[in-house]
Parts: sequence; structure tokens; C-alpha cells
Amino acid sequence: MSDRIHSSTGAATGADGAFAQAVRDALCHLPGLGGAAGTHAVGLASDMAIMSLLALSAYLMLLVGRVSFGQQAFFGLGAYASGVLSAMFQVPLGLALAAGAAFGALCSWLLALPTLRLSGLHYAVATLAFGEMARIALGWWHWQRPGEDGPVGPAGIEGFRDIRWLLENDVSPAQYLGLTLLVLLGVLVLLMRAERLRLGVGLRMVGQDDTLAAAQGIAVDRLRLFAAALAGGLAALGGGLYAHRTTYIEPAVFDPMLGVHAVGYALLGGLGTALGPLLGVMLDLGLLDASRLLPGWRMVIFGGLVALFLRWRPRGLLDETLVHRIATAWRLRRGTAGTPGLAPMPSPPNLSRRKTP
Amino acid sequence: MTGLLQTTIDGLLEGGSYAIVGLGLSLTFGSLRRLNLAYGATAMLAAYLGAWLHIRHQAPVWLVAVSVVVAATAIGWYVERLCFAGARDDTAPSRGAPIAGTDGREVVALASSFAIWMQLEQLAVNLLPRHLNAFPSLAASGDWALGALLIRPDRLLVALLAAALILGLAAWLERSRAGLAWRATADQRTAAHLVGMPVARLQTLAFAVACALSGVAAFAVLAIDGQVTPMFGMWVLLKGLVAAMLGGLGSVRGVLWGGLLLGVVEAHAQSLLGAQGREFATYALLFVVLVAPWRRGDRGAPLGGLRA
Amino acid sequence: MLEITDLATAYGKIEALKGVSLSAKAGEVTCLLGPNGAGKSTLMLTLAGILKPQRGSVKFEGEELVGKTPADIVARGLALVPENRLVFPALTVRENLMAGAYKRRDTAAIRSDIDAMFGRFPRLQERVDQLAGTLSGGEQQMLAVARALMSRPRLLLMDEPSVGLAPLVVAEIFAIIRQLHAEGVSLFVVEQNAHMALKVAQHFYLMEQGRVSFSGSPGELADDDVIQRAYLGQKRAA
Repeated sequence: MSDRIHSSTGAATGADGAFAQAVRDALCHLPGLGGAAGTHAVGLASDMAIMSLLALSAYLMLLVGRVSFGQQAFFGLGAYASGVLSAMFQVPLGLALAAGAAFGALCSWLLALPTLRLSGLHYAVATLAFGEMARIALGWWHWQRPGEDGPVGPAGIEGFRDIRWLLENDVSPAQYLGLTLLVLLGVLVLLMRAERLRLGVGLRMVGQDDTLAAAQGIAVDRLRLFAAALAGGLAALGGGLYAHRTTYIEPAVFDPMLGVHAVGYALLGGLGTALGPLLGVMLDLGLLDASRLLPGWRMVIFGGLVALFLRWRPRGLLDETLVHRIATAWRLRRGTAGTPGLAPMPSPPNLSRRKTP
Repeated sequence: MTGLLQTTIDGLLEGGSYAIVGLGLSLTFGSLRRLNLAYGATAMLAAYLGAWLHIRHQAPVWLVAVSVVVAATAIGWYVERLCFAGARDDTAPSRGAPIAGTDGREVVALASSFAIWMQLEQLAVNLLPRHLNAFPSLAASGDWALGALLIRPDRLLVALLAAALILGLAAWLERSRAGLAWRATADQRTAAHLVGMPVARLQTLAFAVACALSGVAAFAVLAIDGQVTPMFGMWVLLKGLVAAMLGGLGSVRGVLWGGLLLGVVEAHAQSLLGAQGREFATYALLFVVLVAPWRRGDRGAPLGGLRA
Repeated sequence: MLEITDLATAYGKIEALKGVSLSAKAGEVTCLLGPNGAGKSTLMLTLAGILKPQRGSVKFEGEELVGKTPADIVARGLALVPENRLVFPALTVRENLMAGAYKRRDTAAIRSDIDAMFGRFPRLQERVDQLAGTLSGGEQQMLAVARALMSRPRLLLMDEPSVGLAPLVVAEIFAIIRQLHAEGVSLFVVEQNAHMALKVAQHFYLMEQGRVSFSGSPGELADDDVIQRAYLGQKRAA
């Protein structure tokens, strides 16, 4: 390979040896071409995709005006549920993931019922409490079935080993990344489509001002429950993907900090579009973590950014205004006639007081 | 029977720690109507600074105690500037409610405070990367016997300290002119302006005192344990939150009852269900208190006001 | 006593006061009328120092008040009874009165003033240890006035004291205004109830859309046709 690089760059002399070496090094870091570096990149991308699902889950709740510190519970419940199905009952991956997601959606919906009318503060704390209750409960769960290499199943605090569906079915990390990205893409398309429908608009209205939304005839409670169920399902889906990627899960992973990060990603990346949370994930996992920039200061920077943004740009980077501007510019470039929207209102009658003659 | 009584006493003594830990949180919520999620992390970073002084510089106990309290106050100032300064200016038009709803601003402050929580926790862990870090220990060497019952004198001391601080603060709030001002400012901010109270100064002071109290609490609790771990921040926040909520957020005396109740519930849960059961009982109690149907009246608007 | 010149206050980009100029004489009851949204409350809050004006000046007994904190303004002898009373709901009636005297340090005089307030407002005496939030609207209004009086103001500002109250209570409020006037307290009252105001005030201003549009005596007010129609409802005696 070095010969080919040398000739393609036209450099053949020793003086350029250093440059050639640098090019070789760089090529090694691309996924698929290098050894450890490539695997690392694939792994990182998978992690980012999985975290994006959790961040989207937090984002959905933020859309309807709720800060939830409990989404990690559904992430964990989904991880355990799909792990149980695939490792203990040999259910195919797709089905296990779907069932896990459904389970997460159900649990989230159940939690939403009693917490529906809580004020924002109480709700945040209640979800935090619930998240911890779920984590502790998972630590109590012992259920094992005989497997190929011994008993397999959740073993309480020690966790759940040998979720090896991927290995048993010869799915490579790159292929799994592909699957994960596909799932994420599907979710994104779904969410972004929904934005244009009445459902999406309704959700945002509930988040902006639920009293006003109710006055407009929107079923606020039902929409909130729906958002909760969807959010729980997404988190659980992410959890299932996570369980299979790491093959080992334990309750300690699903702690409040995970949920807190998810909310942070959504808040930082922006609440204007489903791409916002992804941006947040990329900023943290991609930029700060992967680049090994200032290790040990990641949370300091990230936390500081979130706090600053909440002060000066509360809806995040990709907030509704920016998204609207981008969408309008895009539409203009594509030459679609005019912008869909309201016709300008007629000017109001002149009500200024006139002096009586 | 003695077993039950012993468990209850242990619970009450432990509850003293919870009460003292929750005092600052309740005070902040009462005077600013904001929940400071960075509260635990503030106490933790201050405690870590104290531990660092102890480990690296062999600082004497009194110096560690003072440093922890001062550090907690200083860190609290930083948190207040970043997250809660806006709370002092409710008459200003909102900059496009980030999280909407009648309590949108409160939730935003909550959100920024959790971001700072992340920051402070990481700073603490950067300072002392180990899991177990020594803290000056004032633990008692033995138990006192009261008939067939055993009482740990160090825990008793902390519980008494808690009671003294709480009841003292409550009496001060009820009887002094400054205490009246604190309560009035928390109750109706505009009216407090109108009668000439220095609202911004009072609220900053209340926040500072709350953080200083968190430092006192941190020192008291850790001096018994003799060590501090990275879990301390979360512990302070959660125990403090439950104790404060049980007694009613914003009620100073309430935090004492809340802490004692929590302690007793936990002690019995532990004897019945083990250590995990005890943790579970804490969160379950918090959850139940929050969604309790008989609290329907409070749910819509944020609770507020400082009550003795 | 009070000279307001070209005062302008904005909420963000919305100008609520567009350059207001008026004055209130010592020893008089000056009344400001106007429809909802005219900016009357904004004016009162600006005078009290709660809102900061963009430009203009407010001179109280020769001293400039713009830029001073609300605490300073109270110390100088100006007190506001705000719209919606704004009592301290979680404090008792007595504590509300004590709060009103916050800027004073003469404890003995404060105590005797509180007793005097109970003399003036006997209904408050009946409820002395009750939480102010549990009082009726009329009682809260009395409490708000009493609280403002506790700081011994030389000029009392009142923002819509009669709004939302039953007619009998409204009459009581205006009786108190008349009483205070007789005792030498200067008053600047914002009102929507022009009928009652006509009976107590010596000078009127009318505010519309952030500007003063009329200034005159009660007689001139009663004579103006448009004002008649707008605020007094065409009940002009021929």
C-alpha cells in the first residue's frame, strides 16, 4: 500500500516520507480500513445512534412541556425485556426489539396516568423517583433458564449476561450499525412527518400552553399520554439495541445521570426538530468524547453549555425559529411558489378617536 | 418489642441527618420557588474540597469544617448567578418561554440547575478520582446504652444539631423583622418591593444561607462516616428532597418532621426488606407523596412561600 | 408635589407609556381615569420604582425618583396600594401591617400606628391574626391601604381601589379616601369608576393609549361630551 500512496501523491523521495506516513496514518483511522480505530468508530457511531433514541424520548416529553428524568427507566426496561426474549427464548432480534419497545411504551403510559396533572416540578421529581424505583426493582429480578453455556437471564444486581443474539447469528458490528442507523432513520422520518400532521402540531400546542390548547378543543390529556407512550417506546427500543450491542446489562447503568444527559441533549440540540436531540448527542459523544478533547472535563463543558443555552437560547440550537427559517429558505430554493401559510390579514379598522367637530 | 423500638430510634437518629440535609433545599424552594437540583452536587464538591484538604494537606478538623461551609456558599453563589438570577426579576417579560406552562420559569431553572449538577459532580471527581476518600472522622467509638436500647451518640448529636438549627431558624423567621422580610419576599415579591424590602438582596442571602447549611449538613454527615464517595451528591439531593417534600417544600419545621419520618420508614423498611428495600422505600415514599390524590389542591401551581 | 415629565416605559418592544406628563398637587386628590390597557398601572408601577422607564423624569418634592429603587422611593414618602391589592397572603393581618412599616425603625410608634389602623379599619381588628389570603376582597383592599399607610407616606398612590368590589364596599373605600384627604394626606388615585371619583377628586387626568389626553377640574370633566359618553355613559343632566 505504501508504494501506491507514494506514487499517487507523486512523492517518491525520502524527504516526503513523513508526509506519506501521515497520510497512511490518517487512512487507517477511517472505519473499515484500520484495525482498532475502525472498530472504535463503528462502536462510537452505534452508541450515538442508540443514545439518540433515548434523547428523542426525552425530546418528546419536552415537546409536551414536561421535563422527565425517568426515561432511563424505560431504556432499562426495554433492554431487559428484549434481552430476555432473545437470549432466553430465542426470539429473533426484530421481534424482541419490537416487543421490548411495546413493553416500554406500556410502562410509560402507566406511569403517565397518575402523574398527568402534576406541575412541572413535581413531575420531574416523580419521574426521578420512578426511575430509581425501576432500577432497584431490576436489581431484584432473578430469573434464569438453562442455556448453552449455563443459566442465562437477569441475575439481580449482577446483571444480565450473554445477550448474544448478534454473535450467534454472525452479525458484525458494522452490520449492526447499519441496522441501528436504519431504525433511527425510520424513527426520524416518522417524527418529522408527524410534525406536519395535526398530531405533531397538537403536541407542540400542548407544550406551549396547555390551557390554551384545551380551549382550542385539543384533548390535552390524551395527547400527553400518547407522547408518554411513544417516548417510552423509543427509549425501550434504544435499550433493546443497547442490550444486544453490549451483550451485558446491569441495573447500575440505568441511573438518573443517563436520563439527565438525555434531557440535556434534547435541550442543547434544540427542540425545533427531531434532529435537535441528534445534534446534542453528536456534540457530546461525538465531539467531546470521541475527540478526547479535554478528557475529564466533558460534563463540565456540556453542563455549562446547557445552562448557558437555557439562559440565552432556551429552545436549543435548532429551535423552532431557526428550523422555520431553514425550511423557508429550502422551499424558496426549490422554487415552490410562495410559502404555505396564512394569507395576510386585512388591516384593522381605524379606531383612533376623532375629535367631534 | 424492643427490636421495633430500637429500629424506630435508629430511624429517628438517621432522620436527623436527613432533616439537616433537606433544610437548605426547602429554604431555597420556599424563598425562590425554584428547586435547586445542583444542591447535592454543591454539597459534594464542597465536601470533596474538605476531603482534599484533609488528605493532601492534613488540615485540622475545624479548618475542614469551615472550608466546607465556605466552599458550599461560594459554589452556591455560582449556581445562583447562572441558574436562579432570573428568578429575582419576574416582572421582566419572558424571553419566549422555553418550557411553557404556568410554571415554565421554575422548570427552566430546574433544568439549568441539573446541568450545573453535572458540571459540579465532574469537577469533584476530577479533584479526587478515587471512589473512597477519607474525611475527618468524628465518629463515636461506642454506643450509649439506655436500658435495653442502644443510641449512637454521634448520630444523636447530628439529630440534635438538626433540631436546633431548624427550630431556631423557624423561631427567627416568625419573630424577627428580618425573618418577616424573608417570608414576605417569598410570599409576594412585588408587594415586598412596594413596602421597601430589598428583595434581590434578601433572596440572594437566603440562597447563600441555604447553601451554607448544605455545607454544614455535609460536614456533619460525613464526619460520622469518615469518608466521602462520588455517590454523595445524589444522596444529599434525594434524601434532602424527600425529607423536604414530606414536610412540605418551603416549610422549615416541616423538614424536621419529614426527615424524621423518612428515617423511621427507611429503618423499618431495611429491617423488613434489606438494604435495597430501604432504598426502594425512600423513592416509593417520595413518589406516593407526589402523586397523592389528597394533594390535588397543590398540584396546579407551584407551591411557594417560606413557612416557619 | 409630584411632577411627571415625558415618562416612557416599555415592556420589551411594546411601549406602554409613550411620554406621559402630569402633576399632582400637595394636599389634593388627583385622579387618573382611562380605559383598560391605557397604561395606568404601568404608570403606577413606574412611579413606585418597580418598572424602569426608558426616558422621562419624576420629581417628588423636588427630588428625582427615576432610577431609585422601590425601597428608596418608599423611604422618601411615596407608597403604592397596587392593583389587585397584593397583600401577603401567607402572613397574618398584623404581619402585613408590620411589613408595611419595614422601612421604619421606631418600634413603639409602629405599634401605636398599628392600633390606629385597627381604629380606622375595625374589620381588620376582628381578623388580626388571620391569614391575609383568607380575607374577602373588600377586607384585602382595606388591608392594602392600611399597609401602605404604615409607612407614613406623604403621597399615597392607589391603583384602581374599587375594582371588583361590591358597591357598599366601594362606598367605604371612597369614604376612606375622603377621610385621608381631610387629614392632609395627598392622594393620586387611578380609577375606572368615574362617578365615584368625581365626588372626591380635585383634579382629573385622562389617559389613553399611553398618553395623557385630558387634564381638568371635575366640572370640566363633567362638561366634556366625549368623556361623558365614554366613561359616564350619557347620563348628562340636561
